[in-house]
Amino acid sequence: MTTQVAERVDPPVRRAPRRPKAVNKTSKPVGVLTYVWLVLAAIVLLFPVLLTVLGGLLPEGQLVRQPPSVFSASHYSFDNYVSAWQQTVVPLLPAFFNSLFVGVVIMLAHLVTSSLAAYALVFVRMPLRKPIFWLFMATIMVPYEAIVVPNALFIRSMGLQDNQWSLVLPFLANGFGVFLMRQAFRQFPEELRHAALIDGAGHFRFLFTIVLPSVRPSLIALSVWSFLQGWNMYFWPLIISSSNNSMNTLQTAVFALKANGNGTQQALLLAGVTITLVPTLLLVVFGQRWLVRGFMAGAVK
Amino acid sequence: MTTNSLTAAAQAAASASARPPRRRQHYSPREILLGVLFCVPAVAGLGTFVIFPLFQAIFLSTRGTDINGNPSRSVGMDNFAQLFTPEFGEVLMHTLVFTLFVVVVGVVGPLALAVPLAQRLPGMRVFRTLFTLPFAYSASAASVVWLLMLDPSMSPVNWALRVIGITAPEWTVQSPWALITVAWATVWVVAGFNLLVIGAGLAGVDEDVLEAARIDGASGPRTFFSVVLPMISPSLFFVIVTTTLTSLQALGQVQVMTDGGPNGATRTLVFSIFNNAFENGNNEYGLASAQGLVLLIVGIVLAVIQFGVIERRVHYR
Amino acid sequence: MRMTVRRGFGALAIAMAAALTAVGCSSAANSGGGTSGGDAAAPGPDVLNGKGQVEITFWHAMGGTNGEALQKLVEQFNNQNKGKIHVTVNYKGKYDDALAAYKNASAQQRPDLIQMYDIGTRYMIDSKSVVPVQSFVDVDKYDVSDIQPNIAGYYTVDKKLYSLPFNTSMPLMYINREAFQKAGLDPDKPPTTLEDIMADAKKIKATSGETVKFGFGATLYGWFVEQWNAVADQPICDADNGRTGRASKVMLNTPTNQKLFTWWQDMIKQGLAMKLDSNTDNGDNAFSSGTVAMALESTGSLGGFVKGAAEAAHPFTVGTGYFPKVDAANTGGPIIGGASLWITNRGDQVKERAAWELVKFLGSKESQVTWHTSTGYFPISKGALDDPADKQWVSQKPQFATAIKQLQGTKLDFATQGCSVGEMPSVRKEVENGLQAAMLQGKDVTEALTGVENAANKKIADYNAKLGG
Repeated sequence: MTTQVAERVDPPVRRAPRRPKAVNKTSKPVGVLTYVWLVLAAIVLLFPVLLTVLGGLLPEGQLVRQPPSVFSASHYSFDNYVSAWQQTVVPLLPAFFNSLFVGVVIMLAHLVTSSLAAYALVFVRMPLRKPIFWLFMATIMVPYEAIVVPNALFIRSMGLQDNQWSLVLPFLANGFGVFLMRQAFRQFPEELRHAALIDGAGHFRFLFTIVLPSVRPSLIALSVWSFLQGWNMYFWPLIISSSNNSMNTLQTAVFALKANGNGTQQALLLAGVTITLVPTLLLVVFGQRWLVRGFMAGAVK
Repeated sequence: MTTNSLTAAAQAAASASARPPRRRQHYSPREILLGVLFCVPAVAGLGTFVIFPLFQAIFLSTRGTDINGNPSRSVGMDNFAQLFTPEFGEVLMHTLVFTLFVVVVGVVGPLALAVPLAQRLPGMRVFRTLFTLPFAYSASAASVVWLLMLDPSMSPVNWALRVIGITAPEWTVQSPWALITVAWATVWVVAGFNLLVIGAGLAGVDEDVLEAARIDGASGPRTFFSVVLPMISPSLFFVIVTTTLTSLQALGQVQVMTDGGPNGATRTLVFSIFNNAFENGNNEYGLASAQGLVLLIVGIVLAVIQFGVIERRVHYR
Repeated sequence: MRMTVRRGFGALAIAMAAALTAVGCSSAANSGGGTSGGDAAAPGPDVLNGKGQVEITFWHAMGGTNGEALQKLVEQFNNQNKGKIHVTVNYKGKYDDALAAYKNASAQQRPDLIQMYDIGTRYMIDSKSVVPVQSFVDVDKYDVSDIQPNIAGYYTVDKKLYSLPFNTSMPLMYINREAFQKAGLDPDKPPTTLEDIMADAKKIKATSGETVKFGFGATLYGWFVEQWNAVADQPICDADNGRTGRASKVMLNTPTNQKLFTWWQDMIKQGLAMKLDSNTDNGDNAFSSGTVAMALESTGSLGGFVKGAAEAAHPFTVGTGYFPKVDAANTGGPIIGGASLWITNRGDQVKERAAWELVKFLGSKESQVTWHTSTGYFPISKGALDDPADKQWVSQKPQFATAIKQLQGTKLDFATQGCSVGEMPSVRKEVENGLQAAMLQGKDVTEALTGVENAANKKIADYNAKLGG
């Protein structure tokens, strides 16, 4: 395709569409440059992904080679995946369920807490809306590392340290979620809001029958984002699970594969990392449509 | 909601608290009650686990710990005095460079991909999907992989550069590069997300406008900056805010890739906090808390700048 | 707009003031845990009688295959003690994480037994939260003569064995035998001094068709500097490495270290040594991929190296040598590294006793044979090395014999016992910063070493002040 286009350089000629329906307004040289640029970017951005997934298939020891060996190993096998999954120091299966619990609970909680607060900030006439919003924004700025000590002490003082809920308790509300939903609500045509309220639709009805359904893409976008946050959390589970391993999440479990003292088995580690990535990769690939629509909902009407 | 009415509201509230007898006319008690009710879950959650611990952190910042990490003695302002050292100045500098790099590259890069992706060419959706894959990585997972990408003994990056005749720098080992390397791993993760958001913004821009910006050599760039950019400014604003936050709070990358080295050249504020509180059995919760407050102030200042100055230039439609 | 911003901060300030008063009342502190240093007599075996099945917890820091080997041992113990003692094993992350978790836990949340790295020893003693193993040794008249004296030496402070060493490793010099042969060097005679390393590295570099890129390449690991000083028979802390009193400062800006640092800088400048940072993964990759011909690593890496070398692009065989000396005249020997088992004092003699039973089991000859052969860690038991199963393992890994000889050849004195100071993890980190400053940033050696000394001394002073207050 590249050569074909390079032969004919006259700018105004339009490229013949591949699929009859695809309307194409781009001139050819620009099109070629586009593809060159995108392919280059794809190589840079995606090689690490390939390395993660394929590296786990390599025999240990063949990974560290120059030129890169991911495509030229003597053989590929799922051995590393199997041993990562079967090791018993920090079993991955219960950790998988814990991660699922963390991701789902945080996601649901964010949906509820963020939508309600954002609704109040945008649609409810009450004093101090801006200061409250600022307070939410300020919480986004608080680095988690700065407050993890008091939080851990607090959870422990409540005797919850070996309870699954302590994995999620500090994360049920999120300033970013409020921000995201507020942005979505602010796109709402003002006339419609006034009309609805003058019309006598109460806030609850307005929220549940009009507002939420029409920002569904934003809700889904928030869900995807929140789930990823919960799923990818590493530091808190490590600190809070004080006395039993049944509190491990997939993230803490996989990094336990990084052994002490006898060198890290890197192909094994990559296999483990790939296992943690399966749900998030699927989410990013298939939730992507929703993410785009969610953010588009913020930009378009 | 307009700024005017809000300012009026704020003034009303201010005067109400100053002079009790005056009645508030703008608000109905039912509305206020509803608003409070709606805010309670979020405020309670954040209050208990973010704001309250923050004040505990303030308390802790005046304490020194014993060897078991108990904040058992008062050290007054000692921990804050330690913030006025050249070492901490360097930490702030690293944080600034790191954040700038991540925000600039992490926003301009995806923009440079999103604009071509917005064309109606075959395969664009596939490219977009591929570009967003790194977004699935956690910070620590990304760091493990990039550490291998740049491992001096196997680095595919170094190999590729050598093939085209460039000697690769010693990524994680050489002073100025180490910080950039760690920042790059962060960019790699945030780029996918930013691409999605910017792409969503561009999807709302009229195709003819985009087309003009793309082809017309003379006025193209001007169209882009004067027409397209303002049109996608909400998306851009959004990614700038989120990317700033991500980079200010990036820990896993530094911890896994360089552990602050070489000789502290990648010590960022968050890493410094983490290091003082948890690494090497340091347990300097007091100093860590004092630094945490600095980070909070940095965050608030940036928020004020971003929301007070930049957002006013954002065109919501 | 400006107005609203100010209001926002006003509200924030009020909330802050309110919360501050609240904090003032609640104490963020967790209690210090046990009371005594453990001078009271330890409980005898009979305390376990009639207690049913005693449940104890054991925190460890062994990830990966090492962790699995440890789990198997504990399972074995549980089976042997059915109805009497049951141990729950918990992996607490890396050593640093385990230490942090231990510090952050209150007395009730602490485990009954914890595996703690060597450099956490002084802290564990100072924390007054442990029962010295010595008190059980005394009560049981337990025979400690089977423990390698050099290994027991590290964990003996004030003539008391505080913890039972469990997993121990030593540093070795690893060489790529083929690279040595090609360069006309004798792979059975690895270099023993810094000068030798440089000379060999030059020869390897000059060999035509050599696939190895650097003669030498070691991680900038603080542990190695401690080793070099021990080999030079020089204590790095005052008060005889903290063994006859509380150490108050480090002694690192010494001719030995200056020579070492200068040598390393030269090696890098001349392209003889690879520039590596303090991440052992990169250093390990450099050797096992055949990028460097000589490396320093612990005995624990042997298995991984042999496997990696066989799969490398240019496969090679791994040879081992003694950890090199700074000067040919050096008479000391390497310090053992690794971790030991600590019994915590939680005010429950039954659990303490149960923990001791597990400690005895893990330190036994049989367990150590299993441990050694499945992980490559050095057995703490002298008898383990004479066990047929162990002997067979060593014969399959002839490189390991170097470690055995090296340990047995090391005399036990203050220098080879290693520095005992509560802030040792930080001191090691400061040494690494100094290494990085000199090797990666090209800083002047004396300046780098002075910097390390000052930073480390400050940490030690702070720590000692904390003990007082």
